[in-house]
Amino acid sequence: MEGSDGVEQGGSEQPESQRRRQLDRLDREEAFYQFVNNLSDEDYRLMRDNNLLGNPGEVTEDELFSRLQQIKDGPEQQNTNPSTESQEEQVEQPESSEDPPGGDSLLDWLNTVRRTGNTTRTGHRGNQSWRAVSQTNPNSGDFRFSLEISVNRNLAEQQAAAEGEQEPPEQSPEVQEVAANPEPPVPMEAEVVEEPVVEELAVIVEPEPELEEAVLPEVEREPPSPAPVQPEQAPPCSSPRRGQRRARSRSPEPRRTRARLARSRSPLNLDQLDGLPNPRHPYTSQSPTSSTDTPSVPQVEGSSRTRQHILSRQNLTEGDVQPPRVDAEPVPEGQPVISQEGESTGIEGGAAGRRPPTIMLDLQVRRVRPGEYRQRDSIASRTRSRSQNSNNTFLYESERGGFRRTFSRSERAGVRTYVSTIRIPIRRISDAGLGEATSMALQSMIRQIMTGFGELGYLMDSDSDSSDSNRGTSTSADLETLNNPEANNVDTSAADVDEQPVAAGVRGRTVETEMDEGLATGPQGSGGRARPRPPINLEEPSSLPFLRLAHFFLLNDDDDDQPQGLTKEQIDNLSMRNFGESDALKTCSVCITEYAEGNKLRKLPCSHEYHVHCIDRWLSENSTCPICRRAVLVSANRESVI
Amino acid sequence: MQKASRLKRELQMLSTEPPPGITCWQTEERMDDLRAQIVGGVGTPYEGGVFSLEVKIPERYPFEPPKIRFLTPIYHPNIDNSGRICHDALKLPPKGAWKPSLNISTVLTSIQLLMAEPNPDDPLMADISSEFKYNKHLFLEKAKKWTQEHAVQKNTGVVEDNKENPPNQNVSSRKREELGGQQEAGEPAKRRCV
Repeated sequence: MEGSDGVEQGGSEQPESQRRRQLDRLDREEAFYQFVNNLSDEDYRLMRDNNLLGNPGEVTEDELFSRLQQIKDGPEQQNTNPSTESQEEQVEQPESSEDPPGGDSLLDWLNTVRRTGNTTRTGHRGNQSWRAVSQTNPNSGDFRFSLEISVNRNLAEQQAAAEGEQEPPEQSPEVQEVAANPEPPVPMEAEVVEEPVVEELAVIVEPEPELEEAVLPEVEREPPSPAPVQPEQAPPCSSPRRGQRRARSRSPEPRRTRARLARSRSPLNLDQLDGLPNPRHPYTSQSPTSSTDTPSVPQVEGSSRTRQHILSRQNLTEGDVQPPRVDAEPVPEGQPVISQEGESTGIEGGAAGRRPPTIMLDLQVRRVRPGEYRQRDSIASRTRSRSQNSNNTFLYESERGGFRRTFSRSERAGVRTYVSTIRIPIRRISDAGLGEATSMALQSMIRQIMTGFGELGYLMDSDSDSSDSNRGTSTSADLETLNNPEANNVDTSAADVDEQPVAAGVRGRTVETEMDEGLATGPQGSGGRARPRPPINLEEPSSLPFLRLAHFFLLNDDDDDQPQGLTKEQIDNLSMRNFGESDALKTCSVCITEYAEGNKLRKLPCSHEYHVHCIDRWLSENSTCPICRRAVLVSANRESVI
Repeated sequence: MQKASRLKRELQMLSTEPPPGITCWQTEERMDDLRAQIVGGVGTPYEGGVFSLEVKIPERYPFEPPKIRFLTPIYHPNIDNSGRICHDALKLPPKGAWKPSLNISTVLTSIQLLMAEPNPDDPLMADISSEFKYNKHLFLEKAKKWTQEHAVQKNTGVVEDNKENPPNQNVSSRKREELGGQQEAGEPAKRRCV
């Protein structure tokens, strides 16, 4: 952005215009400091939290003022209500839409998205169009983004749909962190919504599970309620573009086959990848549970979770398997899914005629602070399996090496939902040993999770004609597969449930809830059609966009060690003062600029001072003093950092 | 947030008072794409060579560390074939030790130090590292050869800069040789490369 000012290059050679630009910039910088100096604390926070301050010298003071006015006038964008911790604050984020054209820009954007706060972008690449929304919650530092990629031949139509699309409302947190725990999880969340549109048009109005990322709640979310299956007319012809993959999907009948195939695939091969001695122990219980509420259970431990949802929608015309669900489904525990449903229903209404099978991935990776994990260590290497199952909901849990992982799968009404949760203790240690191991293990864990995505590639590649015949056999065989391990592990799981009421219980309830949704939805056409399938090598089908995304997560090592910053409240609690004339000459070591009178300074507990706007940004992602590296928070349950 | 103004100041400092044995300048009017040269320290196998580095300043600098890699091939346990450097100051916490109060100058200086003091316990190049540990003589020989091949002939004019090398570097590298590959303690944070 500012790479063009060649200050050091000998002033005489600089064109006059360039010098002028520099002067302008200096003026604007000056104005920036003035502006920040004069901001009230409240206004400052408002602008900071909305990422409106920008860089010094980047915009004019007028622009800053107008931004301030805008944010003040538009209360719906206001993010500074510290009391509403459990409200998703980012739903009404300002959208700055930019449309990078190329496919690479998508990855580029992914690389920067975490940092840029709240943005929405869309773009096209070939016959794919994507829309990405990133949200950063300044309260908690939570980050979330969702990416939808649609492979579509009808770009214009898809675009229109994308515009109508909204981030659906929040699901209510089912698990709350213990209130006494001052350390919020700092999750890195990502949702991947992949919607390969196989047949004619693709209107992507995916009810995307909006995640409650408030400050403290450890959000144990429910998988998104399945989108209503709309009556659809089978498009008269199939997409030639997908011909290579979907050569046999020309007619409605193969399509149905494919959908069934999808249901019969299980991505639960996560464990096979790294050759766990104790892989998942699936447990299937055939009795439907009737608990309809998911109580908030204090959760001491943070979690890192990955979640995948796959929504397979079928055309009604061929949908003898799954009954369509047109109306909003009754949602337990009053989560606002209803509105989400309504919304998507409404939008889908327009597109209803030709809703193709849709696959949606919802990946969440959530990170947790260390102190919260302690009590788990004693049982860390245990393998547990617990599952609430009715019809087709499975929950697998395993624990080993300090990681706890759950995987659940549920199917209903043509929608299959995977929830995979990994809880990973993040130890903020800067030296060797533990950290490395943790990071490696985390990486392998994520790799496994991502491998789950391989299933999609599998199912996309293999809409084989034979899948219909698989259907009958796979049901029994799979149930057997699922039940056997369970039998071996009943004791373990029972014991674990007792020991781990928080974790297991919550998980169980989560699944119950899903299942209830499924029951409320109507008859299940697909009972227990889970068939473990060898994982797809991640490296191979990387042409699929979501696999590229997987690569993105895997290859960015930094993602494994997201810096963990302070929350807005924690930052605001640090003392602030105005720089006075009497102060000895000092320089902010972040911007290497001398303080000017009236500058707002923030003083860390170690007595080091910085410009507020400099240090706040650092502290939003880090928790140590930039000079002495002492932990800014000396909280009891935080491991001392460096 | 402060990238532009801060870079400007840093470049000024780098041009007026560069650290000994280090030069850094911007290329093509671009402030965020810099080149640097580090003179091989006296007493190190890199003596006599001048090593070019690429310094890229990320958008979020100084909240992110500069991205630095060697352009000149160098035989070093912590620097790989493409010039990437395993150094904690070049990474963000919690893995790394970057902090905004560091700057290009200090980071380049620490790379200079890393050249003189490889850290075989955190190897990027496992072979070189074990060589450094267990066959120091061979390592020194190879490193010198690489230096002659890649870092010397191109930059014959700059060799005098060697004399500007800080004396402490000489001392430490001699010490290192006396220790015969024993690694000094106190660098626990540098083990995140592989």
